[in-house]
Amino acid sequence: MIQALELFKVFPTTKGGEKRAVDHVSFHVDAGEIYGLLGPNGAGKTTTLRMLSGLVTPTAGCALFDGIDVTKHREAARRKLGYLTASTGLYLRLSPRETMRYFGELIGLDRQTLDRRIEQLIGWLHMDDFADLRCGGLSTGQKQRTNIARALMGDPPILIMDEPTLGLDVLTNRVVLDFIRAEGGRGKAIIMSTHYLDEAETLCDRFGLIHEGRLVGEGDLAALQAASGRKRLSEIFLKLCGSEDHVLAMNGLAPEANR
Amino acid sequence: MVYRKELLETLRDRRTLMAMVIVPIILYPALMLVLVEALRKETGRRQSERYSIVVPDEAHRDWVIKVMQREEAEQAKDSSEDEAATSQPTLGSAEDLMGGFRAGLRSDQLDIHIANSGQSLWDLVAGQVFHVGILIEPPPDTRHLDDDTNRVVQFIFRDTDPRSEFIYHQLTRILGDEADRIIKSRVVRATGSEASLSPLLANSLSTSSSSQQYAKILAMIVPFLLVTMTVTGAMYPAIDLTAGERERGTLETLAVSPVPVGQIVAGKFFVIVTIAMISTALNLASMSAMIYFTKLDKVVASAGSMRPADIQAVERQIESRPDSGEKRSQKDYLERRRELEQQAAAKVSFVTRAAPVVLLAMVPFAVLAGGVMLAVCSFARTFKEAQNYMMPVMMAAIIPAMVVSYMPTIRLEGAILVFPVANIVALIREMFLGNYLPTALFVSLASTCLYAAAAVVLATKLYGHEAVLFSDVGSYRVLLSRRMFKPGSLPWPALSLLTVAILFPIYFYTQSYLVDARATAERVREVLGLTQVLLLAGLPLLVAWYVRLDFRATYSLRAASGAAWTGALLIGISIVPVAALVSDWMTHIWSGFQASDELFRRQEALLTEGPLWAILLVFAAAPAVCEELLFRGFLMAGLKTRLAPWMTIVAVGCVFGVFHIYIEKIAVVSLLGMLLAYICLRTGSIFPAMLVHMANNGLALAMTRFERIQEFFGIAENGAPKAGHAAIFAVCFLVGLVLIRSSNRDQ
Repeated sequence: MIQALELFKVFPTTKGGEKRAVDHVSFHVDAGEIYGLLGPNGAGKTTTLRMLSGLVTPTAGCALFDGIDVTKHREAARRKLGYLTASTGLYLRLSPRETMRYFGELIGLDRQTLDRRIEQLIGWLHMDDFADLRCGGLSTGQKQRTNIARALMGDPPILIMDEPTLGLDVLTNRVVLDFIRAEGGRGKAIIMSTHYLDEAETLCDRFGLIHEGRLVGEGDLAALQAASGRKRLSEIFLKLCGSEDHVLAMNGLAPEANR
Repeated sequence: MVYRKELLETLRDRRTLMAMVIVPIILYPALMLVLVEALRKETGRRQSERYSIVVPDEAHRDWVIKVMQREEAEQAKDSSEDEAATSQPTLGSAEDLMGGFRAGLRSDQLDIHIANSGQSLWDLVAGQVFHVGILIEPPPDTRHLDDDTNRVVQFIFRDTDPRSEFIYHQLTRILGDEADRIIKSRVVRATGSEASLSPLLANSLSTSSSSQQYAKILAMIVPFLLVTMTVTGAMYPAIDLTAGERERGTLETLAVSPVPVGQIVAGKFFVIVTIAMISTALNLASMSAMIYFTKLDKVVASAGSMRPADIQAVERQIESRPDSGEKRSQKDYLERRRELEQQAAAKVSFVTRAAPVVLLAMVPFAVLAGGVMLAVCSFARTFKEAQNYMMPVMMAAIIPAMVVSYMPTIRLEGAILVFPVANIVALIREMFLGNYLPTALFVSLASTCLYAAAAVVLATKLYGHEAVLFSDVGSYRVLLSRRMFKPGSLPWPALSLLTVAILFPIYFYTQSYLVDARATAERVREVLGLTQVLLLAGLPLLVAWYVRLDFRATYSLRAASGAAWTGALLIGISIVPVAALVSDWMTHIWSGFQASDELFRRQEALLTEGPLWAILLVFAAAPAVCEELLFRGFLMAGLKTRLAPWMTIVAVGCVFGVFHIYIEKIAVVSLLGMLLAYICLRTGSIFPAMLVHMANNGLALAMTRFERIQEFFGIAENGAPKAGHAAIFAVCFLVGLVLIRSSNRDQ
C-alpha cells in the first residue's frame, strides 16, 4: 500500500552547508496495518511524512502509494491520501461542517456522498454539539477532531497522521485513538507519528524508530524486543538510539547498576 | 469552489469588512463633515474675532472708519445684485459655506485705539499690544475727510502673527478698493461719465460647460483616490489568503488536497480582485453620494464659470456702445454660454453618468493589484511579514498615481501607455475628459493584463514551493541562490513571462525615441542597437545562466534540415510582398490600421537615413538575432512547456506584436510573430526563423532605398501590391510553408 524507498532529503543551510534531515529511510505499510513512526523531536519524522505526502520533494528515493509515485503523479496519489498535519490549522471563520464540505468539494465528492459522509464522520467523532460553531471558538480537542474529519472526507485508503494526539485531553485522546483503530479495522493503511511511546505500543501493529534521520529499528514489537533485548518500547528505543547509557548517566545511575 | 469558500470566509472577516465597507461609507461623509465643520468654525471665528488697530490721532481713526463704511456700503450693493440674479443658495450646503468664507471684514470687528503721544507705533505693534499700526502722510484732517489728496498709507504689522497678517491683508484690499473709488470720482468729475473708466473689458467665454470644468477637477482627484482605495481594499484579503493561511497552518492541508495549485491560486486571486472591486465600487458610490448631497459639484463648477452678474455687466457694456454689426454676434455667444449653463443644470449629475465607465476601467487595475499582491504575499510567512512587504507595493502604486494625477499635462501616450498604474490613472482621467483614443485604451489595458498575468503565474509558482510552504525547510536566500536550481531544464512559464513583463516597459521606453522630435537617425541607431543586445538578448541570457537552463533546448540551438532552410529562404524572399498584401487587406477591413502619415514619414526618415550597413545592422541583423532569442527562444521555451503548440504560437505572436511600438501595425506584426514561432517550433531550430526575420526587416528597409527592389516585389508607391506579382510571391510563400511543415524533426 505505502512504500518508502530509500527516502533521502538534504536541506541547504543558510551558511552554505547541508543538513541530512532524512537519510535513506525505507519501509512499507500494508492495508489494515497501523504503522507507528517514532522518534524524538527533530528526528526527521515530519519531513518523512511530508515526503510521503508529496509536499516535499525528496532529494533522492521515492514514495509509492499502490505503486504510484507520489512526486511524479501528485494528484492521482493525493486522491488516495488523507493527511493530518501536526500543526492544527483550520479556517477560523468557517464551522466544522463548512470545513468538511469545502474539502469534500475540493476532492470532487457529489452532493449526496458529501452530506452522507459529513453526518457519518460527525457521528463517529462525536462532533454533534459543535459542528455548526465557528472553528475559531473551538477547544484544541474539538479542533483536532474537526481536522481528522476533514482529512477523512474522501474516505481515502491511506492515512498519514502527524502527531494526532498532541496536546489532547484524556477523553478526546480516547476518541481519536479508538477512531484510528477503527479505521485500521476498515482496511486502511495508516502511518502515525508520535513520541508518546506507550500510546504507540498499544495501538500500532509495527514500528519504525527514527533517530537523527536514520531508521534505527523496524518491525513489530516482538522483532524489536529480539533485536534490542529490551522489553518496553521506550527502553527499546533508548537502546537502539544508542543513548541508553547517556540517559542512565543523567539519572545518576551507572550502566552496571541496571544489570 | 475555492473562490466561493474564500469569498465566504473573507466576508466573515471583520478586518476586511472594515477596510471594504465601513471606511468608504463612513469615511467620506465623516471627512466632509469635519471639513465643513472646520470651515464653519473658522468662518465663525473670523466673523466674531476682534482686531486692534493703533493710529496716532483722531483724524486717522475717523479716516479709517469712513473708508471701512464706504467699503461695506459697496459690498452690500454687490451682494444684493448677485442674490437677485442667482437662485437662493441651499441651506447648509457647501455653497453657503464658501460664501461665508469669502466674506471680508466688518467695521464693528475693529477696535481702533489712539496711541499716547510719545509712544511709537512700531513698538506697540512689535510688543504685541496691537495687531496693526497705521500711519498716513500727509495726515488726514477731521474736517475734510473727503479731500482729494494723494496719500501714502503705511501699515505696520507682524508677519508671523496670523491675525496680524490677516487684518493687514484685509486692510490693503480695502485700501485698493478705496483707491479705485477715488480714481472713479476723479474721472467722473473730469469727463462727466464713467465710460472712460473701462476702455477694455475682457469677456471670456469657455465653451466647456460647468459640468465639463467640474469633470476636469474630478479627473485630478478621483483616479488617485480610487487607486489608493483599490489597493487598500485588496490588501487585507491578499495578506489573509496567503500569509494568513500559512500562519494558521491551513496552507499545508490545502496543499495536500488533490487540487492543482493553479486552481487554488486562481480562486484566491479572484477573491482578491472581487474584494478590491467591491471596495472600489463602494468608494465610488460613497464619493458620488457625498458630492451629490453636498452639492459640491455645483460649487466647484460655479467657481470656474461666469456668474450671472458678470454676464449682466458685459451686456450692459455692450449695449452702452453705439450700435454696430459686431455686438450682435458677441451677444449671440453670450446667449450660447447661458444656454449651455442651463442645459448642464438640467442634466443628470455628472458623477452618476461617469461612474460606471470609470468602474469598468478600474477592473484591469484591480487585476494587476491583486496579482502583484498575491505574488508578494506568497513570500511572506506571517501576517506581520506580509504587511511589511505590502508597504513598498502600496508606495509603488500610489506614487505613479500621484505623479500622474497632479501633472495634468501628462497625456496617455508614449511610455505612459505601458507604465503600470500610471497608464490606468491617465486612462481614467482621459475618460473623464472624454478624449481618449481606442488604441491607447487597448495598449494600456493589454499591458496591464500582461503584468497581472506574470504576477499571477509567479504567485502560482511560489505557492506550492516547499520553501514557501514550510518555514523550517530553508530561507528565500536559499530558494533564490544559484546552486539550488537544477541544471539543464527549460525555463518555466512564470520565469519567461516575468522576464518579458520586466523588459516590456523598458524596451517600450527606449523605442519611444522613434517618435521623439529631437531624435537623430544616428542616435536612434545607437540606442536601439544597444537596447536590443543588452536588454532583449542580454537579460534573458543572464537569467538563463543564473537558473542553469539548458541553452541548447531553451534557444532551439540546433542545426536545421535542408528542407527547413529552403523553406525559410522561400518565405524570406516572399515575406515583404505578402506582408504588404496582408496589411493592404487589413486596411480595407478596418481603416484604423493605417498609420498617421506625418508620423510615419518621420519614422521612415529616422529608419532610412545614414549608411546602409549601419541601418541593416541595427534594424535587420540585430532584431533578427536578439528578438528571435527572446521571443522564439526564451519566451517560447517557457510557454510551450504548458500550452498546446497552437496556443504557444498565438501567444508568442501576440506578445511580439504588443512589444512593437506601432499600434497601427499591431495585427500585422503579431501575424509575423506567429509565423516565426511556427517556423521555429516546426523546424526545431531558431536559425530559419532568424533568416526570415532578417529578410523581412532587411528587404523592407532596402526597398525604401532601391527602387529596383520595390519594382521586383511589385509594390506601388502607396504600398499596395500589384495583383500579378502578389500572386507569384504568395505561391512562393506557400511552397516555403509546406517545406517548413514537412521538415518536422520529430518525424
